[in-house]
Amino acid sequence: MEHKEQELKKGIKLHTINTDKFKTNLIAVFLTTKLDRKTVTSNALISAILRRGSKTMPTQEEISMQMEEMYGASFDCGLDKTGDNQVLKFYVETLNDNFLPQGGENLLKISVEKLLDIVFNPITENGKFKQEYVEQEKSNLKQRIEGKIDNKARYALDRCIEEMYQDKPFGLYKFGYVEDLENIDESNLYEAYKKLIETCKIDIFISGKINQNIEEEILKNENIMNLEQRTPDYVVSNNNIKEKKQENTVTESMDVTQGKLVLGLDVNIDNEDLKYDVLVYNSILGGSANSKMFQNVREKAHLAYVASSSYLRYKNNIFINCGIEISNYEKAVELIKKQIDDMKKGDFTEEEIENAKKGIIATIKTIEDEQDTEITYYLGQELTNHVISVKEYMDRIQKVTKQNVIDIANKISINTIYFLKD
Amino acid sequence: MQVVENLKVKEKLYIEKLDNGLTVMIIPKSGIQKKYIIWGTNYGSNDSKFIVPGEKEETEVPMGVAHFLEHKLFEQENGTNSLDTLTALGVNANAYTTNDHTAYLYECTDNFYEAMDEFMDYVQHPYFTDENVEKEKGIIGQEINMYADYPEWRVYLNAMEAMYHNNPVKLDIAGTIESISKIDKEILYKCYNTFYNPSNMALVICGDFKPEEIIEEVKKRLIETKSNGEIKRIYPEEPRGIVKEKIEQKLEVSQPLYAIGIKDSRENCNTENKNEIVKKHLSIEILLNLLIGRSSELYKNLYNEGIIYEQPSLDYEFSKTYAHVIITGQSTNPEVLYERFKKQVEKFKINGINEKDFNRMKKMIYGGYVKEFNDVVDEARMFLSDYFKGIISFDYIEEIEGINVEYLKQVLDNVFKEDKMVLSIVKN
Repeated sequence: MEHKEQELKKGIKLHTINTDKFKTNLIAVFLTTKLDRKTVTSNALISAILRRGSKTMPTQEEISMQMEEMYGASFDCGLDKTGDNQVLKFYVETLNDNFLPQGGENLLKISVEKLLDIVFNPITENGKFKQEYVEQEKSNLKQRIEGKIDNKARYALDRCIEEMYQDKPFGLYKFGYVEDLENIDESNLYEAYKKLIETCKIDIFISGKINQNIEEEILKNENIMNLEQRTPDYVVSNNNIKEKKQENTVTESMDVTQGKLVLGLDVNIDNEDLKYDVLVYNSILGGSANSKMFQNVREKAHLAYVASSSYLRYKNNIFINCGIEISNYEKAVELIKKQIDDMKKGDFTEEEIENAKKGIIATIKTIEDEQDTEITYYLGQELTNHVISVKEYMDRIQKVTKQNVIDIANKISINTIYFLKD
Repeated sequence: MQVVENLKVKEKLYIEKLDNGLTVMIIPKSGIQKKYIIWGTNYGSNDSKFIVPGEKEETEVPMGVAHFLEHKLFEQENGTNSLDTLTALGVNANAYTTNDHTAYLYECTDNFYEAMDEFMDYVQHPYFTDENVEKEKGIIGQEINMYADYPEWRVYLNAMEAMYHNNPVKLDIAGTIESISKIDKEILYKCYNTFYNPSNMALVICGDFKPEEIIEEVKKRLIETKSNGEIKRIYPEEPRGIVKEKIEQKLEVSQPLYAIGIKDSRENCNTENKNEIVKKHLSIEILLNLLIGRSSELYKNLYNEGIIYEQPSLDYEFSKTYAHVIITGQSTNPEVLYERFKKQVEKFKINGINEKDFNRMKKMIYGGYVKEFNDVVDEARMFLSDYFKGIISFDYIEEIEGINVEYLKQVLDNVFKEDKMVLSIVKN
């Protein structure tokens, strides 16, 4: 495995991961821009519009047919909120040439060209996006935004985040807002697209068996040549001390059988190096089957089937998730608070720390066994400006001590308790 | 050990049936850190009526026993829980239950053999007490409630309900709060002793291993058990027809969810001939993609009219006692979608299948199956679940070439029958 990166132009980077572990090549383009209430909806719509067609593949059937013809290349898009950034993600996964029934088709080169074409060369009409596509995608996006309520556990988490980040970029919903759609048309959306492409951070990833000189091919690619250099308009994740806040309790009602409980915690650290301690802390609190949440809330009190926590490192928050009997709300909150307090008191053993480290290190070791995980790992480094090798990452985890974890426990406070009930 | 090699995906499967009846399958993968082991029994939520080998009377147990057993098997006599022990070794352990099998597994990079000690020990040593069985009812109760809030799961199960009169595939795998309240340790022991016999089980290992070495490690950890003879499973008689065409449930969702089911019958294909099953499965996948896949005319029209806004998921599911097509997704108007789908099927039956589209879909499906061999986890799971259906996963890669338009047309006529179709909707 060999990871290389090359700045094609200022603000535009090519990352190649040459590996023969996989039967596939994975190509990704990420457009990163800062989350902003004014552009969040139009960016989400841009991501949907680009799927509809490019100048060389003007309809989505055409894109699909060409992908099918390439032995089922999968073309996919996504939208992510990474720290205070909105990231538009585009992927193509194809078989690597060793696994094609007839050799010599050079699918890698073709798929790179097609993906770049979809992202940077969209179909237009009189210098605007196609009106038909914009109208259809506006209505689809409306459905997607409203679809927020369909997965109740996910909804509870999204709502907890919104409560914690009111009027802040991270509190924005990544798919945007229905009321913005009215004022978007094919003309202003195309302007928004041009501005996005001129100002966003662009990262291109290629992972797989890279035989040919793909860097050169990309430099010669017309879509890439047309891009200008830029000082990308995105937010490097940083660690700010959070304002002290009163614990906020929010309860909402919906047609649910089970109550969904989310506790949003603030982790008050100002140093990237402390994040390794937080990872160990989170693992002991709710990150595994040995954790306090799993053992005490699920196994001993039988209050829940899901009882876990996860660490959102870009924003320094931990979210605790539980699905409980609605009448058990007080009991569950009390028991969860006790787990947080016990952590502060250092009520955990050296063995628990060692076990947590083993689990985290095993996850780090498999980063290079999964193409998408590896790409996401390097993108994360790009967006935090914090470059660390997999080996060093493991060493850092290994060095975490009990005192480090207690120190973290005492930097943690409950920001919001969110409960979705019937 | 028998070796099955597939030159297209460049993989080898080592397979051996041990003296006690256990089937072991090993797929070596060099240069990969991740290691995966999965041990399954051919026993799932559908097996609730059976005759214990050596007995004459039928045994019938409450719904949800297979899944309950899966939860309880981790409990050890010395008071420890094997899930904790495995997690403490830094391995990622889990288990799951389906209609036709239950599986225990872990994934790791280090401590593989230490974990294997615990893993093989706990699967072979059940320990149930009144107290530990009672406690689990609260946890599983919350698991059942969690599924009740998943509209995708409700719309799916309701489609089963509309298709099947008696087949237990229509029931919740975990059972109901009422049915699990009747489970006790005697029931669990009885089911364990019946179905967790090595002759009813298969173990798959995938990772950077030498097959001759790893199989010895397996043998070393097996306790002595005798093959217990054939388990007679009793499944209710299932009429060929559906129960009702339409079923609807109200839940708080933004847009309706739909599931279109097409009831098929296992008798429609020669079950003794596994190649036929694989060919049929592949043909149905090709047909579904031609009918309503991303590049299809129907998909384009429905999308442009705003009736669908995402690609439906297209599946053919089957085990030894049931088979059906299932199409699911979200739509602004499932009724229209359903009618248009039926029309499209008729159109295909009359106009035939375009050779060019067919060849393109074949290529796509081929690529999709090759991708399944990319990751040790996906691969091992696939080999296990196919094995319980009498299939070696390589068969899919091999059979696809032999499918032609005539064959596809036959499957279209035999399976896509209008009187076997159902529509399930979940909406506000």
